[in-house]
Amino acid sequence: MRRLQSLFNWFFSLFHKPSLDAELSDELRFHLDRQIAENIASGMSPTEARRAALRDFGGVAKFTEASRDARRTNFLENLLQDIRFGARMLRKSPAFTFFAVAVLAIGIAANSAIFSVADAVLLRPLPYRDANRLVIVWEDASAIGFPSDTPAPGDFSEWRSRNQVFTDMAASSFGSSVALTGQGNPEKLGGRAVTANLFSVLGVSPALGRDFLPEDDVPGAAPIVILSHGLWLRRFAGDPQIVGRQIWLNYEKTTVIGVMPRGFQFPDREAEVWIPIRFSKEELANRGNHYLQVVARLKFGVSLAAANADLSVIAKQLEKQYPDTNTKVGANAVALRDQFAGDVRPALLMLVGAVCFVLLIACANVANLLLSRAAGRRRELAMRLTLGATRTRILQQMLTESLLLALLAGTAGLLLSIFATQFLAALIPTGFAPITGATLDPRVLLFTLAVSLATGILFGIIPALRVSRVHIAPTLHQAGGRGSVGSGGQRLRNALVISEVALAIVLLAGAALLIRSLENLYHLDRGFQSDHVLVVHTPLSYPRYDAFPRRVSFYDQVLAKVQALPGVLSAGYTTWIPLTNPGGAVTITIEGRPEPAPGERLIPNLRMISANYPTALRMKLIAGRFFDHTDGPNTQLVALINETMARDYWPGENPLGKRLKRANYEDAPAKPWLTIVGIVGDVHQAALDLPARPEMYLPYMQLDLGYDPEYLAIHTSGDPMSLVESVRQQVWSVDSEQPVSGAMLLSDIVDDNLASRRLQASLLTGFAAIALLLVTLGIYAVLSFAVSQRTQEIGVRVALGAQPSQVLRMIFSQGLRLFAIGAALGLSAAFLLTRAISHLLFNVSPYDPASFAAITLLLAAVSLLACYLPARRATHLDPLIALRYD
Amino acid sequence: MTKPTDLVQGTLDLLILKTIALQPLHGWAIAQRIRQVSNNVLQVNQGALYPALHRLEQQAWIKSAWGESENNRKAKYYSLTRAGKKYLHSEESNWLRLSSAIGLVLKNV
Repeated sequence: MRRLQSLFNWFFSLFHKPSLDAELSDELRFHLDRQIAENIASGMSPTEARRAALRDFGGVAKFTEASRDARRTNFLENLLQDIRFGARMLRKSPAFTFFAVAVLAIGIAANSAIFSVADAVLLRPLPYRDANRLVIVWEDASAIGFPSDTPAPGDFSEWRSRNQVFTDMAASSFGSSVALTGQGNPEKLGGRAVTANLFSVLGVSPALGRDFLPEDDVPGAAPIVILSHGLWLRRFAGDPQIVGRQIWLNYEKTTVIGVMPRGFQFPDREAEVWIPIRFSKEELANRGNHYLQVVARLKFGVSLAAANADLSVIAKQLEKQYPDTNTKVGANAVALRDQFAGDVRPALLMLVGAVCFVLLIACANVANLLLSRAAGRRRELAMRLTLGATRTRILQQMLTESLLLALLAGTAGLLLSIFATQFLAALIPTGFAPITGATLDPRVLLFTLAVSLATGILFGIIPALRVSRVHIAPTLHQAGGRGSVGSGGQRLRNALVISEVALAIVLLAGAALLIRSLENLYHLDRGFQSDHVLVVHTPLSYPRYDAFPRRVSFYDQVLAKVQALPGVLSAGYTTWIPLTNPGGAVTITIEGRPEPAPGERLIPNLRMISANYPTALRMKLIAGRFFDHTDGPNTQLVALINETMARDYWPGENPLGKRLKRANYEDAPAKPWLTIVGIVGDVHQAALDLPARPEMYLPYMQLDLGYDPEYLAIHTSGDPMSLVESVRQQVWSVDSEQPVSGAMLLSDIVDDNLASRRLQASLLTGFAAIALLLVTLGIYAVLSFAVSQRTQEIGVRVALGAQPSQVLRMIFSQGLRLFAIGAALGLSAAFLLTRAISHLLFNVSPYDPASFAAITLLLAAVSLLACYLPARRATHLDPLIALRYD
Repeated sequence: MTKPTDLVQGTLDLLILKTIALQPLHGWAIAQRIRQVSNNVLQVNQGALYPALHRLEQQAWIKSAWGESENNRKAKYYSLTRAGKKYLHSEESNWLRLSSAIGLVLKNV
């Protein structure tokens, strides 16, 4: 009961402060009057009585305060007062507030945005059950230049039956495209043919309908398909009766048996349908065609290393058993997560490092600003101490002020980070990882707030502790009393600026190196020109185009029609446009040479092209000739080879006129000889930063090899995209049910390939730019403050005859000294750290002197700029005013 | 006037409570009463008195009311609450026990 009353009293006091205070003073006045009366009664004169009474009362303020304290509402009242005071202080110095908030907000926004992106790409869970136990298994055929080769079905089935480390293994074909017709526009869908157990290996069941069964996965079974959730919504309007419905897929009536859950994707968002792969017995024994993607689930308690050990044992067994196909072929399991995010990880880690740097710089900057401000308020604080404020109270107030600042910055940073995240998410190259877009997530919110509060406390403490230790008398008496005492403070501020400069140099070095790599890549000779080229994808489907003559006729007609279009300079077909397929290779033998041993085989890339294809892409002709109208279905079989193939397979000889043929496999009929008629420049097929492989080109109408051209490249005089519709019409005039898709510019494909590098380079440059800005502010702030500190000194010097140039030099040298030390530290740090990103570089050494020199000069120039304004201000000081400056 | 002996806070509380146990008094009167009854030994300073009074009031041992004083001035009168009365009794017996114990030690050590 009493406690309740006490609590009620507390609440009451909280809200009735003014009236309670008034009551208190009434009460005290009453007491005072009585005391005076008593004094008079004991014989003093009225004035003396009053004086004595007042003296007795002592420091009224003090025990008024104590009485108020007794009400126990102090903490809250003080807090409110601090907040109001802090807010007023911040309002009074808008420049400082703005800079401090901006600096922190930028640091926090950069932090959160990158964190969200990194989180989305790296840390978000994959849409599979227990995804950490999933691995992808590659064949290791480094001997012929494919360290992560797509396995052949024969190897897959052997691994599956012989392994002891996986609960199960599934396979899917790589990127088949599937034609959806019969409703609306014919469309080419991304699809995968998979073994029946794929979804159970992944641990996800269809949301509608059922999963594949083993009996579905045999050749000859009825055509069935499982749809993705997105496709179901997009093309079938979420039809609840979709299961059991029949759709036209690849010109076959196919039954939909299931729909996968929302958010599921395998392996990426491109695949929208899954059909059973239906290996025949022959296919399962085929060790020559490599085209699968194999997924496996580790048994409980088995590590990746153990799995790899088991796989190498099996690979060795296979090598012995099938020396023909499996010599020097190993097996390599990689965690699924790493596979899908693998390339990104080192880059992302670098970026996270960059973020930390920027945040550190930002913190150093704000700490500096706060320190300077606090030092400037020394006198004010000294006075408050003498007036009776306790040290704790002052500390409390300064802490509140910095927390207020930190919270402001946190809010601003939060808003900024929302925009920044959206911006960055749009930049993530698609197909980077099978994980849906990055959004600012709540963990980042908390992280951000924690960071901002931590920074608030951190700089709340340093200046506050520093200042509360102030010695009162010297400070008050100090000539130049705005606290020019403070060499200790100055040293800390200098140290902060030096560290800022060092950190900025490291960032700039990284950015410069990445930019140079990017430059190198852009200017690399790719072997083709990508401007003004439109690319259209028209894969022919079987069984419609089973007959070879029918296919040839299709290409002939389309080429004729498209080349006749106005605005088209040349057009050509090819199996795969550069940068869309790193492989597509066949084994060959060369006339007059013995059959190479397994493991030493010649396996160049193969592309079936039309005569004008090299012209459309403006490939270089090194020797001999391109294909022309003289090469037809019934003429001599010819081939073009690229430079690398010429150099590697015929070192020191002239390959023109020599013959080669595809290697014979087992009991297959003998292959015809092909004559080399031309050598073309290397074209990068895999990626711009990987060396070109040997490659050969054959005319599409001469041989039926199953490498049908799919991509039509059109070199236009004007804007390529303006021709898309007409090209489509021409294709449809030849075959109205032929899906035509993927209309894009070759230059976009090239850009995409460079996209990840561009992203890294832009991000790092962004950070470096922010760092540069912050460092400039930092140097400017420190020097400004130094100038105001040394105002009197400068006044004295000028009065004694110093020239403006000397004053300038004084200030500049102070600033440049800071820069020099920082730069030295930064450069040494950069030397150590750039090694960490050396594998992200292209044709640039991590110690590239040109880049280092350039950034040092840049930072020096920027520092000079930062020194300029304060130095100028110093020269414009009126010595009379300066001397009296107080 | 002799220098007032510094009173421990708890002791002051006890004195205040005892003083107003019989009848409500205002701050001035409480100080006077304590001084008189103790033969001028215990002189309670305003600086100690009012904080103590307000603390006791916040904790609801005592309650206050504005009333008219002897000379028709407004003054704040303090009186015991029921809880305060109980508290007084327990503190009083504690104090007596303590002081006799101290006395024993002083006499017999």
